[in-house]
Amino acid sequence: MKYDAVIVGGGPAGSVTARFAAEAGAKVLIVERRAEIGVPVLCGEGISQRIDNWGMLEGKKWIASTMDGAKIFSPDGTMVTLSKEIAGDETGYVVYRDIFDQELARKAAQAGADIRLKTKAVGLLKKNDKISGVKVQEFDETYDIEADIVVGADGVESKVGHWAGLDTIVKPRDLETCVQYTLTNVDYNTDYCEFYLGKEIAPGGYVWIFPKGKGTYNVGIGILASLSRPGKAKQLLDRFIAGRPELQKGEPLRFIAGAVPVAKPVRTVADNLLLVGDAARHADAITGGGLTTSLQGGKIAGDVIGQAVEHHIFDEDFLSSYEKQWKAEFGKKLLRDYMVKEIMLDFDDKTLNMLADSLKNYKFEEFSTLSLVKALVLKHPTLLMKLKPLMKLSEVQG
Amino acid sequence: MVKPKARVDDQQCLACGGCIAVCPEDAIVMMGTHAMVQSRRCIGCGICVKTCPVGAIEQGGNKG
Repeated sequence: MKYDAVIVGGGPAGSVTARFAAEAGAKVLIVERRAEIGVPVLCGEGISQRIDNWGMLEGKKWIASTMDGAKIFSPDGTMVTLSKEIAGDETGYVVYRDIFDQELARKAAQAGADIRLKTKAVGLLKKNDKISGVKVQEFDETYDIEADIVVGADGVESKVGHWAGLDTIVKPRDLETCVQYTLTNVDYNTDYCEFYLGKEIAPGGYVWIFPKGKGTYNVGIGILASLSRPGKAKQLLDRFIAGRPELQKGEPLRFIAGAVPVAKPVRTVADNLLLVGDAARHADAITGGGLTTSLQGGKIAGDVIGQAVEHHIFDEDFLSSYEKQWKAEFGKKLLRDYMVKEIMLDFDDKTLNMLADSLKNYKFEEFSTLSLVKALVLKHPTLLMKLKPLMKLSEVQG
Repeated sequence: MVKPKARVDDQQCLACGGCIAVCPEDAIVMMGTHAMVQSRRCIGCGICVKTCPVGAIEQGGNKG
């Protein structure tokens, strides 16, 4: 059977794309190489409460806990707080990513999308030099799936974009290499997510502690691949935990590794092809967070696929509407935060301590990276001069 | 001198995909629960070896 769109990857971006494409009348299929949607979890599991406004998830089973805000610690331990009290109600959730992903996939299925598990894309099909589907391997059987549009929702290690000739290789300077423990029986009580910065702690990244409730925490680290050595991320995280008795007392429920693109936005369309989610580099370069942008981008992609199917036009020109729309919605924010990342990489620990000290009593307008960046620019106009033109852009963007 | 090829230790690999994302030669593929370097394509640049968060990739007998 021929599909209008085949979506490679059943993560959040893939499922949301599938759902909105199906709701717009397209016949869509999700192929997922793993044996279960959302498993294994490869994520810190933090997300902004802004998703409440989008109506993409039903119920509350996917929520592990609600955060009261964020505490950011500079290398010498100076604390900057972004709290619910200051910022209003809007903060964030720690989610169960497996349940979260399955809820998004359920909505896609409900809208009419088909799903095949243990089905790995191994190449693109071409007809008259145009992409006409994907070659897949389902268990041990290899076969072709014809489709007018192929969507690469295949994560940071995306092959689909590469096969289509898009430049998807991530530079080590633009990749956070991560590990995380989910620790339980931790003797610590907070409803804040915590971030620890410093060259010795996490070069080019940070250590995070996200509360999942009942003494369970996601404790992870991301370091820049260009500043990494073999096994360094795990070594640094183990050292961080060893230095904290309350964490060291905890027992692991889960250990995972992951990789997050902290790259500039890339070209996300070609003839008969779209990229979404991490494959599209739709992740924030400061926080590494990519869930909200993946959901926003997925919805736009799904809508555009619906229109393409309706008009029976699948060329790059038509599909560029997707890229125009995601750029309008969050492209400037991604670019701004990439610039901030690049500037921050040059800061030594002394500078980070100084910046934290100047913000320790600051009253933030809202719970966002924009609010943090605005405060930094306000307090240190010369240090962050390069950001000024970008801040003007940000006035329009969240 | 030919640089030694990278090799993934299946036992240690957690299938995070970081090595695949940074490989400039598109020489690494995911095999279910672990990554695998296609020797024929590997140029021995060592980027994946450095990137691996758990030290599961070795090159020329040197492990992380």
